Amino acid sequence: MSNDYLDLRVGEFLEQLSADEGAPGGGSAAALTVAFSARLVAMVARCSGESWGDASGIAAQAFVIAERAGALVQSDATAWEEALTALRHAEASTADDERKDFQLEQKLERAAAAPLEIAELGADAAALASLAAERGAGEYRADAAAAAALAAGGARAAAHLVLVNLGVRADDPRLARALASDQVAHDIATRLLESGR
Amino acid sequence: MSRLVTLSDAELVQHCRAGDPGAWNELVERYSRYVYAIAIRGFRLSDEDAEDVFQDVFTRIYTRLDSLRDDSALRPWIAQLTRRRCLDALASKGREVPAEEVYSVDESTDLAEVEEAFTVREALAGLSESCQDILDRFFTRDQSYRTISNELDLPSGTIASRIARCLGRLRDQLEGRNDASEGSRE
Repeated sequence: MSNDYLDLRVGEFLEQLSADEGAPGGGSAAALTVAFSARLVAMVARCSGESWGDASGIAAQAFVIAERAGALVQSDATAWEEALTALRHAEASTADDERKDFQLEQKLERAAAAPLEIAELGADAAALASLAAERGAGEYRADAAAAAALAAGGARAAAHLVLVNLGVRADDPRLARALASDQVAHDIATRLLESGR
Repeated sequence: MSRLVTLSDAELVQHCRAGDPGAWNELVERYSRYVYAIAIRGFRLSDEDAEDVFQDVFTRIYTRLDSLRDDSALRPWIAQLTRRRCLDALASKGREVPAEEVYSVDESTDLAEVEEAFTVREALAGLSESCQDILDRFFTRDQSYRTISNELDLPSGTIASRIARCLGRLRDQLEGRNDASEGSRE
């Protein structure tokens, strides 16, 4: 079986997501959700080229965000698996080993970095969705609102994973960044969904 | 920004011929990545071999610039010098391959990508500094809109639109280049 989730068919990835293993987990699902959102924005922009001068520039940014989020589907799972293994070793070990503590800390750092990036990409995808809803062709605005909702979901899930990471304290600036990204995406999605009612 | 940065290749060649040391520095600055990219991405040379190619190519440019017949053809001339020197490097390592077989599909694709990347880089140099900066931050440094907004002190809601407008200007620059190069072939 492929080691790269993006090479899997959607059904195969969903199988792996529900398998009795730790990864892929919430972070990978959040990253994929943000990638879906960005791709949806790209579609709205590409379908609105005639009436929206900046459409191709917005689509280009959406592609980049989708690519970055797509890469995190795999790297989040890898980082999380490594952190989980290190945590289990630490729990099993009774010795006071500073080197192991340091390694665990580093693994947790890496495990927090991926969801933080996913949350920020979620906020960026939502910002593009907001422009697409405002400037895109009328018949695609509902898709732009859907993209914002997906981006907000991905950002919120990812921010939560940063929050619960054992290596992140309450006053950690990474947590503040993740929560701010969550808030940005959430505000945009709420506005677009409510305006479409 | 140095005045030399804004010169066309043909103007730069004329400054080099006139013995302007700053022009030589600019020529090396402008084309060093290009030479390395052909050697490493196009021909898969090691860093060490690429460094040898780099030294040799720029020595040849320095000593043979007067043999360049069309000053505006600096880039294809450098590409040709680099490719030949890369073939020499491969041959000296025992990887002697007939020239027509050297460009596998992958390698020619890589060389085309190197050309394309360089063309985009040249077009970028024609944009305003603010456009170059914001495109570099988003596409090269992977910065989020929030980071760009904070560091440039711009409203966060305007970042994506600014990037889109700069991309539009970049496209205009590239289309202008294509039009000019098509015209020059006639």
